[in-house]
Amino acid sequence: MDGCSFAVPRGKISGLIGPNGSGKTTTFNLLTGLASPDGGAVFYRGENLVGLKPHQIFRKGITRTFQITRVFREMTVLENMLSVVGPGVPDRVARARADELIAFVGLTHLRAEYGGRLSYGQQKLLEFARALMTDPDLILLDEPAAGVNRTLLQHLLDHIHRLEAQGKTILIVEHDMNVIMNHCAQIFVLDYGVKIAEGPPAEIRRDERVIEAYFGRRRAAPAR
Amino acid sequence: MGRHEHARNLALLGALGLALGFLPPMLSVYLRSFALFTMMYVVLALSWNIISGFTGYTSFGHVAFYGIGAYACAILVTDYGWPWLPTLAVGALVAAVAAVALGYPVLRLKGPYFAIAMLGAAEGTRVVATVWDGLTHGGLGISLPSAETSLPTYYAMLALMVVTIAVTYAIGHSRFGVRLNAIREDEVAAEALGIDTTLYKLAAFTLSGVFPAVAGGIQAYKVLYIDPPSVFFVQITIAMALMSMLGGKGTVIGPIVGAVILYTVQELTWVNFPTAHLIAYGLFIVLVARFMPRGLVGFAIDRGWARKGMVH
Repeated sequence: MDGCSFAVPRGKISGLIGPNGSGKTTTFNLLTGLASPDGGAVFYRGENLVGLKPHQIFRKGITRTFQITRVFREMTVLENMLSVVGPGVPDRVARARADELIAFVGLTHLRAEYGGRLSYGQQKLLEFARALMTDPDLILLDEPAAGVNRTLLQHLLDHIHRLEAQGKTILIVEHDMNVIMNHCAQIFVLDYGVKIAEGPPAEIRRDERVIEAYFGRRRAAPAR
Repeated sequence: MGRHEHARNLALLGALGLALGFLPPMLSVYLRSFALFTMMYVVLALSWNIISGFTGYTSFGHVAFYGIGAYACAILVTDYGWPWLPTLAVGALVAAVAAVALGYPVLRLKGPYFAIAMLGAAEGTRVVATVWDGLTHGGLGISLPSAETSLPTYYAMLALMVVTIAVTYAIGHSRFGVRLNAIREDEVAAEALGIDTTLYKLAAFTLSGVFPAVAGGIQAYKVLYIDPPSVFFVQITIAMALMSMLGGKGTVIGPIVGAVILYTVQELTWVNFPTAHLIAYGLFIVLVARFMPRGLVGFAIDRGWARKGMVH
C-alpha cells in the first residue's frame, strides 16, 4: 500500500475492488492489525488503530471474514461460533445467538459437524455467521460471494442490507461485479496499492482509469 | 451437554475417587505402588494434554516441571526440615512462576521450534540441578529421611488425580477450552477473532505445568531418593505425549485411558519379557499409531460412537 487514503462511510455498504494483487486483502490486514504499516494511520471512530493487537481491534467492534476461509477445522460448527465470544457473555446468551445465526445460514443440520468437513460454500457461510456472533459495528467481508450458490448469495445479501439498516458499516472485497455494483453505496478502486478511483457505482463504471486497470490501456493503431 | 450429564460425570469421578480410596488395605505393597504410579501418569498425561492437546503446542520438555516439583520437595524436607505436604504447594508455585517466565518467550515459537525449545529448557533445568551444588546437592542427588510413605503418597496422588481430572473436565467443556482449540486450529484467525492468544496460551501452559510439579513432589517422597537424571528423565515427557496420543489428545478421557493402558502394558511387558520389553512396548506403539492415528477416542469419534467437539 502506498499513499493510499480513503474513508469508509459509516452505516453504509462500501466496496473495495481492484485487480489481483492490488492490495485489497492487505488493506483488510492493515485494518484488523494482522499487518502493520510502515507509516500512516488507520482511524476508527477517531481512534488510531495502528499498534493495537488484532484481538484488541476486534473488541472495538471490527470483525472480518477471510478470502480463503479460516474455519477452525477440527471444531464443530457450534464451537466455531462460540469461540469468538468473550468470557463476559453468559453461556446461555452465546448459545442462543449461535443457534440463531447457524439457522440463518442454513447449517443447523451440521451444527455438530467439524468445520473442516463442510463444503467450501458452507465454510464461507459459517465464517459469515461467525463474524456476526459478537454484533460488530464494522464488518469486513473478503469475497463473500465466492463459492456460494446464487440462492444463498441472495439470502446473504438480504442480510447484509438488514445489517446496513441496523446502522452497521460494511466493507466488501469482491470480484463479482454484480454484487459490488448493485449493493454498494460507495466503491474504492485499488491498483498496485494505490487508490485510483472512489465514488458511487455509476461513476466507477465510467471511470477511464478503472477500465484501464482492469482491461489494460487502449492501444492506438500502430503507425506506419 | 446438559446439566444432568455433567452431574452424572461428576458423580462418576467421585465414585472412582472413593473406590480408589478404599482400595489400599486390599492391595499388596507392589500393587499399591503400581496404582500410585498409574495415577501419576494419568496426572502427567492430562497436564501435557492441556497445552499440547487442547492448545496444539507439542511440548517435549514437560518433565522440567515434574523435576522442579521433586526438587522443591526434596530440598525443603531434607535441608529445611519442612513437613512434606506443604512442600507440594511450594513446588506448584515455583513451577507456575517458571511456566510464566519460560512460556512468555517460547510460546512465540510454533510447531517443531516450540517442541525443541522445550526439550532444551528441560535439559537446561537438568543441568542447573546438576551444577547448582549448594541448593540441589548436585549429581549426588538427595536422600530423603525415611518414613512410612506408602499410604500418604497414595492418598496425595489420588487427590491430585481427582483434581487434575476435574480441572481438565472443566476446561474440556467450557468456552475457555473451545478458545484454546481455536488457537490450535488457526492461531492467526483466533487472534483476529478476538482471542488474546498470548494470554490464553500462557494460562494453558501454566496450568499444564502446575500438576506435574505436584506429582513430582509426591513421587520424591514416595521413592525417597532423587537425582537429576531420574527426575529430569526425557522418557517421562515422551510417556506423557504417548499416553495422550494413544488415548486421544485434545480430549478429556483420552489421556486418562491412554495412561492406564500404556503404563499397564509397560509394566506387564517389563515383568514378562525382561529382556525384550522395550521391543514389545515399541511394537505396541507402532501398531496403535498405524491403526488409530487419532487415538482411541478419535477412533470412536470417527465411527460415530462418540460425539465430535467439546461443547454440544
